[in-house]
Amino acid sequence: MMRAMSPAPKDTRRRNKAERMRRVGKLASGKFVSAKSVPEVLRRIIEPGDILCLEGDNQKQADFLANQLATLTKKDLHDIHLVMSCLTLPSHIELFKKGLIRQVDFCYAGPQGQAVAQLLADGRFPLGAIHTYNEIYSRYYVDLTPRVALIAAVQADRQGNLYLAANTEDTPAIVEPTAFSDGIVFAQVNEIVDTLPRIDIPADQVDLIVEAPYPMHLTALFTRDPAAITDVQILMAMIALRGIYQKYEVQSLNHGVGFNTAAIELLLPTYGEQLGLKGKICKYWMVNPLPTMIPAIESGWVEGVFSVGGEVGMERYTAARSDIFFTGRDGSFHSNRAMGQLAGHYGVDMFIGATLQIDVNGNSSTVSKKRITGFGGAPNMGCQPMGRRHPTKAWLQAGAESNPGPGSIPGRKLVVQLAETFQSGRVPTFVEELDAQDPSIKKALHGVAPVMIYGDDVTHVVTEEGIANLAACRTIEERRAAIRGVAGYTPVGLKRKKRETQELRSRGIIQLPEDLGVSPSDVSRSLLAAQDIKGLVRWSGGLYDPPTQFVDW
Amino acid sequence: MEKFDKAFPSKPLTWPRGKQWALAGVVGSGNLEVLFERNPKISDQMDCHVESSIPGYKNSWLAALGDFASNYPVGGTKVTIHDQGADPIVVTFRLRQAYDHLLKKTP
Amino acid sequence: MSCSNLFHEQTARQRIASLVDPGSFTEFLPPPARVMSPYLPQLDIPVSFDDGLVIGRAKLGGTPVYLAAQVGQFVGGAVGEVHGAKLTGIIKAAARDSIPCVFIAESGGVRLHEGSSGEIAISEAMRAVFECRAKRVPTIAVIGADIGAYGGMGILTTCCDFRIMTEHGRLGISGPIVIEKWMGKQAYDSSDRALVWKTSGGKTKFLLGDADVLANDDAASVGAAIKKLLAKSAPVTIKSVKARQQELERRLKTFGKTTDPDAIWTALGIADVAKATLATATEFTALAKKK
Repeated sequence: MMRAMSPAPKDTRRRNKAERMRRVGKLASGKFVSAKSVPEVLRRIIEPGDILCLEGDNQKQADFLANQLATLTKKDLHDIHLVMSCLTLPSHIELFKKGLIRQVDFCYAGPQGQAVAQLLADGRFPLGAIHTYNEIYSRYYVDLTPRVALIAAVQADRQGNLYLAANTEDTPAIVEPTAFSDGIVFAQVNEIVDTLPRIDIPADQVDLIVEAPYPMHLTALFTRDPAAITDVQILMAMIALRGIYQKYEVQSLNHGVGFNTAAIELLLPTYGEQLGLKGKICKYWMVNPLPTMIPAIESGWVEGVFSVGGEVGMERYTAARSDIFFTGRDGSFHSNRAMGQLAGHYGVDMFIGATLQIDVNGNSSTVSKKRITGFGGAPNMGCQPMGRRHPTKAWLQAGAESNPGPGSIPGRKLVVQLAETFQSGRVPTFVEELDAQDPSIKKALHGVAPVMIYGDDVTHVVTEEGIANLAACRTIEERRAAIRGVAGYTPVGLKRKKRETQELRSRGIIQLPEDLGVSPSDVSRSLLAAQDIKGLVRWSGGLYDPPTQFVDW
Repeated sequence: MEKFDKAFPSKPLTWPRGKQWALAGVVGSGNLEVLFERNPKISDQMDCHVESSIPGYKNSWLAALGDFASNYPVGGTKVTIHDQGADPIVVTFRLRQAYDHLLKKTP
Repeated sequence: MSCSNLFHEQTARQRIASLVDPGSFTEFLPPPARVMSPYLPQLDIPVSFDDGLVIGRAKLGGTPVYLAAQVGQFVGGAVGEVHGAKLTGIIKAAARDSIPCVFIAESGGVRLHEGSSGEIAISEAMRAVFECRAKRVPTIAVIGADIGAYGGMGILTTCCDFRIMTEHGRLGISGPIVIEKWMGKQAYDSSDRALVWKTSGGKTKFLLGDADVLANDDAASVGAAIKKLLAKSAPVTIKSVKARQQELERRLKTFGKTTDPDAIWTALGIADVAKATLATATEFTALAKKK
């Protein structure tokens, strides 16, 4: 990681890059290399001790390059400092099994959460730190600047320009710091063409390109089948719409993707309409182009959506709705994770998402001893933006409730946790202490428990029992009592004191469904604007192309 | 199967004319059915009989039933539950549904 | 489980309530009567007050009907001794009183825990259907749930005068997993939902003529379809059985070697299969007629 140790730093990186590219020699024709030469090219451009960035985004993966990298041995490649957003592929894990990695800094493990936990337990995962996405991008400009970056693009032209199509995701955030620090950018593309629909990465920032033998790995992560939305999720959606969306007049927001928020999206054209909220809330969104957003968009609720990535199947729909979505000159969808996270941090009234575990102080995490998942982007959105200065109605209203002191920011972003009191298998969501606080996990993570969202940042917790307004709590004891008040029949909830709960309810800190005018008998799946994937296809006028795993007709 | 009986104090329920019973839910995995019937003998108590295929959650049952009895006027009611592993969220939901069915319209 | 306006998502009691004239339903052997399975408790399995079948009398558009609706979530809607006795009883009552019988099916067939009793009950129910038909008392089956009508219930519904299906319903005897087990995954992949519905679902059955009406997935559409059939019934005779046999032999001859269900749709007059798969029942019925 450190620059050449010399009294007067000069241009050693630039000269070293030229040397590496010279080593590639005849293996490249201009910028282009053949698929079968990739392992040898990687051997020649990567040196021991390098900071190496693999494009493993949340959705797309430079999987061909990762797979080729994983064929190398300790003889070819060692002491690598691996920096990347998401450890998703078996080939990523293979790098650790082979002992090639000296240190790893990343954000999210997701599909490899169990493998990471196992490697940690075995002492074969030399962790620097787990980050959020924007955190790691910022360090690419500070102390984690990649020497080599292996990225994924959809197409390249013969000059070496790249087209990223709908899933831009992390690519510019990786390419820019690498290209402008004499690093090497090596791209895999699905195909090489004469003319690109548009240029997303200019050829000047790209050193090597290979046309991969198979298209890049891309997962449909954000599609939720409305048929799977339960009554309890609909009840919670109604509670949230009344008690938060309506109450604070939320104009702009980010939804953490899941069935709970999908229920809210599908209730806007129906229940939201009944409440007279169209045009008053939910106009500006930072969220992926979710199929469950289609009915609200078609019904005229939405002014604009910016996204961190695309979503498989939504290509034609988003292109046909350029008034709503960001699209390029070619007419197709554009996204950007770094900027989307920034928008979700500073530019919106509210973050709302579901979580797996919440403790009595309001801290939440998805980490357990058997699965180290990391953070991804949620903490970027699920926190108080202390650098924010522009006021909105929601920000000021939530801020006033929290009784800011003379040295405190006057507004608060709405940070809302949705949590059914029990997860499947009767596992309580509410706990006295998070699994993430387990000493063995903290030790593996250098003493810092992997808390996703901190209780001090949360303004509201919504369960099927009601809403706890944590922002309005004056003390930590009140906050705990408020959480117990909505924690249902979990062991945490059973410890609530009746008188305390009643007092908090009379002050409006706990609100039950009946206080919000919501009754269980109002709950019905028929309130969902679309009740299955087919319904979403119909709403889109046939523009939505569900991936095959969602097609059962 | 775990079976138990327990009575909870509750404000008296005024049974709607012509109604003798109300049912909510279905016996299926993760679900339960609950039947409300008149019990004029004990107008200030909700008399519960629970049969559950998942033993070991009696505390949780008693808490959910107790809260229901104290939040709703269901005195003078005999409540019978056939449960196949409903979690407390579903238990509370079904009790409220049965109450609604009794007082209103929906079957 | 949930409150929904979609027929396939409704419970048996919700289906009845949304089909019948308001307030006209009287349940026979309602839950308080506690006529329940004597066998399930011996196996430590939870019982249900109605043993998974709701029966009673109601009016549809002013016409008296006897109704039976199966509860699919309770042991898969499968037929045990009490369930079967209630079903046979209501059909026999229909024959006795000359009142049409409407049967809302949602069942995999016999309840294995009560195998013998279940089998006997189903055959008694079939006999009762023939009694109705001999007296020209309409017997109408509605198959609109994802579980469909399988095994003995596939047979029973086929014995009725008419079958109303929705695109969610399925009709057959051996279920997809059993077919795959015996024929191999190459021949029939039971995890391919599209294939399962294309071979046994309501739209296909309607095209083949095994279902008489394709209704939309809501009580209004199902109810309208039932009402149109309330005055019609025909006895089962040697002549009608032979005609049906010939029809099936023709079908086997035409489609016996076909491996692609879409080809069957096209052969039966559906020009645009993709469009037809997305179509509502009303649209599909219109498409099917343009032959």
